[in-house]
Formats: sequence, structure tokens, C-alpha cells
Amino acid sequence: MDLLTTSVATVESEGDPYTIVEVAGEADVTNCDSLREVLEAEVAKQPRTLIIDLSGLRFMDSSALHVILRANRAMDRQGSVLALASPREPVAKMLRLTAADQLIPVYASVREATAG
Amino acid sequence: MADSAVLNRAFRHVGFFYRTEDEYAATVTGFLRDGLAAGEPALAAVPPARIALLRDALGADVALVEFADMAEIGRNPARIIPRVLAFTRQHAGLRVRYVGEPAWGARSEAELREATRHEALINVAFAAADADILCPYDTAGLAPAIITDAMRTHPFLLSDGGHGTSPMYAVPPRIPSSCSLPLPAPPHDAMFHTYRTDLSEVRALVLKHARDAGLTDARASDLVLAVSEVAANTLRHTQSQGTLTIWHEPGEIVCEIHDEGRITDPLAGRRRPAPDALGGHGLWLVHQLCDLVELRSDESGTTIRMHMLVQPPPTDG
Repeated sequence: MDLLTTSVATVESEGDPYTIVEVAGEADVTNCDSLREVLEAEVAKQPRTLIIDLSGLRFMDSSALHVILRANRAMDRQGSVLALASPREPVAKMLRLTAADQLIPVYASVREATAG
Repeated sequence: MADSAVLNRAFRHVGFFYRTEDEYAATVTGFLRDGLAAGEPALAAVPPARIALLRDALGADVALVEFADMAEIGRNPARIIPRVLAFTRQHAGLRVRYVGEPAWGARSEAELREATRHEALINVAFAAADADILCPYDTAGLAPAIITDAMRTHPFLLSDGGHGTSPMYAVPPRIPSSCSLPLPAPPHDAMFHTYRTDLSEVRALVLKHARDAGLTDARASDLVLAVSEVAANTLRHTQSQGTLTIWHEPGEIVCEIHDEGRITDPLAGRRRPAPDALGGHGLWLVHQLCDLVELRSDESGTTIRMHMLVQPPPTDG
């Protein structure tokens, strides 16, 4: 079984379509390049909103965080928004300790992220 | 001794040796009140019993001083400098006063070594700061070796009412040699594991031992992240394998990572990285997550020993 799995969905809502990248498993220095490739490919499609669903992510280290921060910079430059949804507590705590949660909006659920 | 070079600086770091509570209350409140009279914001991070003492002694001035429980913010002494840096940033442009008491008799030898290192690093981290720092030392409750090291880590000393420069303070500032003594060897029944590409197994082992030790799920997760961050550095910065060692001590679990990497910045992990920084988060997280961190790094490699208490003191302060 892969340590890290990702899946991408584009959701056509009334108004703005948005992209959801589901990340599951454990994201660390050994596999963050594959996460980077997935996120870069989606950012390149210039969605207005990109939501990373973290509900299936059991672990994330600072290498994976840096990949997300990079994606956030790229989205910022395009004038579009990156959001994180449903982090489990250990991941949420890491986002707080690094203050990444002050840079990237973190929502309790994908539903809240799409409403926000 | 370049006394004049030290004396002319806006940064003052004073070791205050006291024997009685009366002496403590009089000197520390005097120090705080001098600052308040000059409009300088003041922070006092001292053990809980000393907070109570100062609150009583300060009377109406108590509202003007910010207090922090040193047993909490300084449990890992590496967390004190970023806390004080945050205070100075919050009051940017103003001279600030800080009372910091990181050493007390009930602390373990390892904690006291790290408190001494912290004191030495204050001289580096705040060299350019406009700050008055007073560090009380309980000469009745602390071993003479701790007091001697305090004389090495403080450019100025205050005791028995007398003020002066410390003849033992070196310029440029040095970390006392007691801080770099070899770490005691792990016990023979410690668990060893080597890793080169797979950190998932490292995390699984830490999680299992953390739970066996009785850590709560949240604190077990903290330790898993800390160890994984250090082990990730092995993969990032070295070409060779790393070793994870785990053992149990009375009241705590200890995880150690050794690899061939080298860490040369003594302040690594003691400055909060900017939120959008694409590096520097690893050791920052380790220090924020663990109750005590011991680090030794030289040509032969780096050893980082992370301690987690099974029952941390309550944090409701």
C-alpha cells in the first residue's frame, strides 16, 4: 500500500467551479515530491479555488508543509485561493505551531471551505 | 576582558544571586519598578511560587507587568528565547525589561544544563536588543556548579547588594563547556533501529513506545512528529543511515536520533520561522513539541535526544 495517496476532483458548483485534492496517508520528506507534482499540475490549471482535503492524512511533516506553502504562493500570484479542509488534530496542531494557519485558511470541512 | 565593550551596550544581562525571599522580592520588584517608571514594558517569567511572591510585593504595579509561568514556558528551556523575542517584537521601538528564572533546585541535571545553554544563548540572541534582563539564581537551592556557570553566562552580576561585571564572562560570548559534555549512554535495554529511506517505520516505533510509556494520544503524536522531523534531516542532509534509539526513564520516554549531519547554528530552532518560510521549521517544531531537547553536534555527527514526560504538570496557569 502506498504511504501517500492523492485524488483530484473538479466540482462544478453554481457559480465558481473549484478543485479538490484529497490527500491521504502519511506525507513526509520521502514522498513530498509526488505531492508537489500533483499540486503543481492543479495550480497550473488556474482554478479560482483549490481545496486540499486533509481528512485522510494521518501525518504531515514540514517537507510536506513546504510543498503546500509553495502551492499557496503560486495560487496567490494567480490571484486565486488555496484552502485546507478537515485536518486531523496532529496535522492541525502542526499548522498552528508553524503559523501556517495564519497564511492559509483552514476549515473544519470541505463544505465550510466551499462556503468560505 | 573587554568590559567597556560590554558596558556600553544597550543590552544588559544580569545574574542575580539571592538567598532569601525578601531579598528576591525587594531586588526584582525594584528592577521592574525602575523599568515601569521609565515607561518600559516588563515581562517576568519565573516559577509559579515566585510569581505569587512578586504579585504580592508589586501591589498596584502588578497590572503593568506581564507574567509567564517559567515551569510551563521554560519546561524546555529552548522555548524561552522565542517567547522573549515575541515580547520585544510586540513592543518594538521600546526598551524592555525581562526577568527570567530558568533554573531551580528541583530541575534535573539535563534540564539545568539546557537552562545554562539558554542563558549563554541569550547573549547571542539579544546582542543587538535594547533590553534589560535580570536572571535570579537561588544560591540556597542550586548546586555551586550551576552558580559558577551563571557567572560565565552573565556579563553582569548582582549579589549582596553589589553590582559589577562578571570576571568569568567571555567576550565574544561562549557556551560553558558543561553544556557540551558527552550525553550519558542509553541503557543496554534501549531499542535500536536504523533507517535510510523509510520514516514510516520510525514513526510507528515511536508511537508504539510512546503509548507503552503511557503518553496521551496527543503527546504521543507530538513525539512522533518531533522524531520524524529530526529523522527527515538525516535523509535531507546526509548520504548515510540514521539511528533511532528509544528507552524509558522514570517518568519519561526518551527518543534519540544520531546521524552524520552537522548543525552549526547554536540558535537553530529558537527563532520562529516566518510563516511562509520554506525551511527552518524542523527544529522549531522539535523544541515546541518536546519537554526537553539535548543536542550535540561535531565532526563525528549529530545526536538529538528528545524527552517527553509521561505526566506533564497541568498547563492551566
